[in-house]
Amino acid sequence: MGVEQKEGQPAVGAHPEHAPAQWGTSLGYGEPIEPDELLKIPIFEGASKGLLEKNRGAVVRRHFKQGEMLCREGEFGSTAFYILEGNVEVFISSPIAHVSTDNRSGGFFRKLKSRLVGRAQDLRGETESQRFIPIDAPVDLAYDHPSAELGPGDLFGEMTCMNFYPRSASVSATSDCVVLEMLRNIVDILLKNPKFRAQADEKYRRRALEEHLRSVPLFAEIGAREQTQEAAAFLERLRERVELVRFNPGQVICKQGDPADSFYLVRIGFVKVSESHPGGELVLAYLSRGNYFGEIGLMGGGVRTATCTALDHVEVVRIKADEFKVMLEHFPHVRRRLEAGVRERQEQNRNALDMVTSVPLEDFLAQGLMGAQSLLVLDLRRCTRCDLCVRACADSHDGITRLVREGLRFEEQLVATSCRQCRDPLCMIGCPVGSIRRRNSLEIIIEDWCIGCGLCAKGCPYGNINLHPVGGDQPAEGGRPPMSSAAAKKAGVKLKAITCDLCTGLDEPSCVYACPHDAAHRVEPRGFFARLHEEQGRGE
Amino acid sequence: MVIDWTTHRKWVLASAGGVVIAAVAYVPHALSVRAKPFGGTAMGIVYGAAGLALMIFAGLLGAREKVPAWRVGRMQTWMRAHLWLGLLSFPIILFHAAFSFGHGLTWWLMVLFTGVTASGILGTMLQQYLPRMMTRQVPLETTFEQIDNVREQLVLEAGELVAAACAPPKAAPAAKTEAAAGAAVAMTAAPVAASESAARLQSWWESIIRVYLEHSTHLREGSVKRREVQHALRQLRTLLPPAMHDTVDSLEDICGEAGQLRKQVILHYTLHGWLMVHIPLSYALLALSAVHAVMALRY
Repeated sequence: MGVEQKEGQPAVGAHPEHAPAQWGTSLGYGEPIEPDELLKIPIFEGASKGLLEKNRGAVVRRHFKQGEMLCREGEFGSTAFYILEGNVEVFISSPIAHVSTDNRSGGFFRKLKSRLVGRAQDLRGETESQRFIPIDAPVDLAYDHPSAELGPGDLFGEMTCMNFYPRSASVSATSDCVVLEMLRNIVDILLKNPKFRAQADEKYRRRALEEHLRSVPLFAEIGAREQTQEAAAFLERLRERVELVRFNPGQVICKQGDPADSFYLVRIGFVKVSESHPGGELVLAYLSRGNYFGEIGLMGGGVRTATCTALDHVEVVRIKADEFKVMLEHFPHVRRRLEAGVRERQEQNRNALDMVTSVPLEDFLAQGLMGAQSLLVLDLRRCTRCDLCVRACADSHDGITRLVREGLRFEEQLVATSCRQCRDPLCMIGCPVGSIRRRNSLEIIIEDWCIGCGLCAKGCPYGNINLHPVGGDQPAEGGRPPMSSAAAKKAGVKLKAITCDLCTGLDEPSCVYACPHDAAHRVEPRGFFARLHEEQGRGE
Repeated sequence: MVIDWTTHRKWVLASAGGVVIAAVAYVPHALSVRAKPFGGTAMGIVYGAAGLALMIFAGLLGAREKVPAWRVGRMQTWMRAHLWLGLLSFPIILFHAAFSFGHGLTWWLMVLFTGVTASGILGTMLQQYLPRMMTRQVPLETTFEQIDNVREQLVLEAGELVAAACAPPKAAPAAKTEAAAGAAVAMTAAPVAASESAARLQSWWESIIRVYLEHSTHLREGSVKRREVQHALRQLRTLLPPAMHDTVDSLEDICGEAGQLRKQVILHYTLHGWLMVHIPLSYALLALSAVHAVMALRY
């Protein structure tokens, strides 16, 4: 990915004749900048001139007129932007709402109807009232007003540039502006530059830390509930003492069994939490911006209970154990929430481990079904392939089926393509706005600020996430209209990710209800396959 | 629908009870009528009305399937009711007709009714075995509507394999020494043989294998061409050099997959083909039954 720049070659995209083959994997058109000129820009201070020479052309200066778009949410890209002059608005133009299916008509003719609704109208279980939407910029966007302004000296698009994720938000110029657009090799040079890191750290502490902490539900209350001098003093103290730490893909952040010495908040990237067992690695969770880890070790026996590994370029905020203890002492409600969270996580981990150890079905494990919470299983001895299950699913969801009668086979059972609520939710990796998460029951939930980039649909190994077209220029029912910016005016049909919702609101999923041959069943995999295994054993 | 005792017990017992009650009621009715009992008597009309009601209910399954998402009872309950009440309607109608086919419209009605019942029983019997057979014999089963697309993909895949195997070898670099030049001369025979093999593979691909893959899901042509292609693949393995055997193996796998698609098509049509008889006969039966009921009650 990205543009391969050879030494001495002109900037790719710097001249029309070097037009990029595919937008999003290279720089836009712009003026090339000489290394000497770059070194005068604050973020390049102290950078190696030699390295900049070698990467000549990997950064260009671009001019945008007021109202012009710099990038759009959901599009794949490989560049980061640094604002030299002027201001930009960063916003999400997708309706801040989720696709909800419910039955309005009632009675015999109950039929699910899909519509867009906001959180105020449809507060789903365990919705934590997250007030901020994490984006790939030094600021988070407020749920109620997903728009913010960036100005000279701000760097954005870093995560897209480093990890090639889709853009998390749209950016348009609110005044004529000049920006630097740079490829990953330039961002790499910046990150290796101690001066830049110091600047970034300082800027983060000064401007973003408090906002970041408040965007984490756990810490939100420190500011919201306790507007006391103590809270202010604590945040000030934390501002001085937290560390921003970066990790490369695959790098271990903390290892199971090591002493627990810090608490971490994820700022950029994705972290895999796993436990090592004699039979292999058991993935417990994937954490993205706004999530935290390390509290179990600190609040428990002082030893790490799991290994946390950076899945991509990760930046975490490290809070040392001493500060963490101070926080627990001074803010009892944070302690209580943390303790409840610890209990919840430990319970989930025990369940996951119990599932792996109690069912001796090697094939089942190999097919990845063990990770599922709930499966749609078709008994192929009974199924006449009439496809009524698929038709019923489509009928229930505005003609868009969430079920395909294909999938993995286990003996004479077909595990149909329908959300499995996996324990290793690969779909959660890479969501640029962190809008896909799981409930405590491990069901996937797509948050209102899904931008429809489709990365989760690509990430799901079973093809169980679909994109539901919704009218982007129409206000969501109960939600708000798109932002009043250039992109919103252009917004036509938008997409929202959807998964099988088990026909929530109905007594039984439509696919099961409509099967005339008693072949379709929603099952809890562990019990179902264990019974099947026993039956086979008796048969033999 | 697979019939098992656990889930069908209630329906079996209820239907059997219905038959017994109808039979018990029929005996005194038959004895009380001086001549042969017939459908026009009060008891006969009761049997006829009950039979027609059961037939209409059984026929409603078709309408129910048009709206699978409606919450008007689980579909499997409807199916069980269709099976057992539909079956129960047959003896009831026999009691109504006093075990006679009659003549004219009633004869046609009884013929249709027998056809509907027999085709229904046949379909139910097929459903006991064919799904299991399809599961075992077609491990690479795909969605029925996608079969043509999958077949086209197989043709493309096989074509690419053949093209890769028949591609001319890369030109050898110019010989720089005398010894190397000698070796190159000695090796010229190999490319000639390779080109002959490639031409043979290409020719058989065009004339036999591709034709089979393109017609593999056609019921008649597929069967004939399947034997041809099996023979051709065996011969190719003998005629082609070992270096090309991997390609032949892959082609055989692809043809095997196409064969599975064909088997799926056959089993699918068998599994659903009886409906082509059952459904039209059912419509005809219901329409004529309505005519019969009106005529019988009016005249």
